[in-house]
Amino acid sequence: MINSNLNLLIGLAMGLNLLALGTSRLPALIRAMSAQGVILGVMPILMGHELDWQVVLVALATVAGKGLLIPSLLRRAMRTAQIDRELDPQIGFVASMLLGAGGTIAALALTHQLPLLPEHSGSLLVPGALATVLTGFILLIGRTKAISQVCGYLILENGIYLFGLLLIKAMPLLVEAGVLLDLTVGVFIIGIIVDRIQRAFDSLDTRKLTTLHE
Amino acid sequence: MTGLLLLPAVILLVMAVVVGARWPRLWLGFTLAGAGAALGAALTVFPSGGGWEWQSKFLLGGETVHLRLDGVSAVFMALAAVVGGAGAVYARGYWPDHGHPATAPRGRVWWSALVLSMLLVLTVSNGLHFLMAWEAFAISGYFLLTLDPRKPAVRAAGWLYLATSHAGTVCLFAFFTLLAARTGGWDLGPLRADASCAPLFWLALAGFGMKAGFFPLHIWLPSAHANAPSHVSAIMSGVAIKMGVYGIVRFSGWLPVPPAAGWVVIGLGALSALLGIAFALAQNDFKRLLAYCSVENIGIILIGLGAALLGREHGDAGWGRLALAGALLHVWNHGAFKTLLFFGAGSVLHATGTREMSRLGGLWRRMPWTAGLFALGSVAVAGLPPLNGFVSELLIYLGLFDAVAGRQASAWAAMPAVIVLAMSGALALAAFAKAGAIIFLGAARTKPAAAAHECDGWMRGPMLALAGICLVLGLAPVLLWPALASAAAAWHPAWAGAMSPEPLATLGWVNLGLAATLAAAGSWLWRKVRANNLRRAPTWDCGYGVPSAKMQYTSGSFAGLAAGWFGWVLRPVRTLRRVRGHFPAHALRLERVPETVLERVVFPAGGYVMEVSTAVRRLQHGRLSAYILYVVAGLAALGVLVFMESLP
Repeated sequence: MINSNLNLLIGLAMGLNLLALGTSRLPALIRAMSAQGVILGVMPILMGHELDWQVVLVALATVAGKGLLIPSLLRRAMRTAQIDRELDPQIGFVASMLLGAGGTIAALALTHQLPLLPEHSGSLLVPGALATVLTGFILLIGRTKAISQVCGYLILENGIYLFGLLLIKAMPLLVEAGVLLDLTVGVFIIGIIVDRIQRAFDSLDTRKLTTLHE
Repeated sequence: MTGLLLLPAVILLVMAVVVGARWPRLWLGFTLAGAGAALGAALTVFPSGGGWEWQSKFLLGGETVHLRLDGVSAVFMALAAVVGGAGAVYARGYWPDHGHPATAPRGRVWWSALVLSMLLVLTVSNGLHFLMAWEAFAISGYFLLTLDPRKPAVRAAGWLYLATSHAGTVCLFAFFTLLAARTGGWDLGPLRADASCAPLFWLALAGFGMKAGFFPLHIWLPSAHANAPSHVSAIMSGVAIKMGVYGIVRFSGWLPVPPAAGWVVIGLGALSALLGIAFALAQNDFKRLLAYCSVENIGIILIGLGAALLGREHGDAGWGRLALAGALLHVWNHGAFKTLLFFGAGSVLHATGTREMSRLGGLWRRMPWTAGLFALGSVAVAGLPPLNGFVSELLIYLGLFDAVAGRQASAWAAMPAVIVLAMSGALALAAFAKAGAIIFLGAARTKPAAAAHECDGWMRGPMLALAGICLVLGLAPVLLWPALASAAAAWHPAWAGAMSPEPLATLGWVNLGLAATLAAAGSWLWRKVRANNLRRAPTWDCGYGVPSAKMQYTSGSFAGLAAGWFGWVLRPVRTLRRVRGHFPAHALRLERVPETVLERVVFPAGGYVMEVSTAVRRLQHGRLSAYILYVVAGLAALGVLVFMESLP
């Protein structure tokens, strides 16, 4: 019963992956990313352990951070930079969606081959995590705007978080605090970089940064 | 006793390095005293034959310091000490402070550092320390070579030297680490029984051969020797390349060698001797000519060493001993006469400012000392009696003749080697007849040549000393017998004590008789000419009304016939504008001999490597997203690898 609820949420997150890959509009991308964050945030509560206050606190912090704080920061950056579309990406939208779908199927297939614990074998946790990490990578590789790449990075983090849920019984707080901290630092840094890129080059196109190599 | 002399030698040379930049006189004193002490240390080793060894508790890089000086290394140390001292004196006249205020102090410091590091290379008996000393030796050589870095040619020669030197060092790193892995320690010493070390000989041959400069590996040598200051060329050609020979001799003596080693070494020696002198013959730059002649002489040494290896392989044959003694004696002789020749070349360069033979001529009238000493060196290098080059080549000949007479398999290597040795000797005579004739005889071709001046005492002194060494080694080679016997015993213990100095003693008497006859004939001729009222006049000028200095043989035309035989490898590049019409305006014939190996093999190969590298470098373009793709692809590949491993 619990597993089926969990699987439903993970399935939803996987759907949001495809949405994030398929859209060209940045607000939609941010919305998909934040919705995925909220879904992942409530997941620990549904995992079926006794509701201790630590888990609730972590869930609330995740929902607040991924659902409200980070999206609002990104929206502000988007407004400052005055862009709301990802034009000419490295990997086209349809192509990246197909890649993501293929990756999801491959992740499902691969999971059957992996030597998992019996209690995890029925859940979508592992394939969901793999598919989400892959989505993050496709966004990082395929998009050129810095904000899209930040979203890709955050979705990648969501995937790692999903992997972390496997360990929640062993070390609940540690895993999530680590993930959250990592993520916050990442967003801060990328926020600053976005600001600097914008000021220095009047554009957020990372392809224009290639002359900086070496 | 040996240690008591080596310690002050090292201390004095270190002090010379310290004071070299500021106090030239003090530096000269320290360097000479250090070289003298090193020479003394080497000489103390010869009579006992046992060698000297010192194992300390002191650690350097985690290894105990282990020093050793035996017959083989003492031969090379004596040479390094003599040339190091002679060059220090010569540099005072050739590269003085008032002429080169910026570079002369630096040159002194690196000179002492070079001599010191060569002494260390010759004494350390630990693989790790050997590599350290070897690197210090290569680096000091580089800084000496590029003493005048404003000239692009000097910088290019320096880079080539550094690159090839390090290519050789890579082989030596592989050699010493593999040796340490097989023996279980870095300590060096005789390991003649351990057959698993035999294949390492090829690595040593390549690594030390790069420094020795035998034929296909000689690419750095001509440009380095031509562009370095002449005293540096002298020590590089006389001693530094011998360090490569030392390495080959040393480790072919200590370690077992593969059965093919003797054949390969004698083959490389023959190739090097013949092609080296062919290239020398075709050069127009006299320092390049001397450099290629060094390639030839390294070839002669390798022929001797290869015959020695063959002799050791085929039942300790006596002819192997003769060949080894000849090779080691030739190390000494080449060191002496090539240093003398480079000093002479430096004197000409100092007086005229050009290395082009075709711009010189008639220098003997203005530079009689240099001309005479250069001629003496030429006779020695061409292997003519009664000088020292003849003695060592004769020993090698005797060894090879005995090998041929033995009618074993090794006769098949010895017979062609004899033929090549004879050919290269004849060509060397032609090459040095050309150099001497074009530089010193005839009439001056340019103004600087006509205004040349004789070198000063600082330069003449070392040249006279080296000429004296050439003469003594030629007339009384038996003096060197203890050195050669102890070196041969250190190389192959079964050859200890069994040799007889008879050939050398006989040779000495023959040479003495010949020298006395020559001296008598010369003085008789001189008196005859003086008595008949010497009258100077132009030579017969074929009826031309106004003969000019241009109507002389050039260096190219002098050597044209002999160089033509080797056109297939020299591949000269010719520019020809023929004489046309009844009133020809301008005719031209230029001929340049390229560095065939460098320009036809190494540069194209290097260009190919650069192309591939440039293609690979396109992967690094600065696009972050693509870098992430590389990381993902790498991770995926690793994942696949792990997954494949986990499958049954």
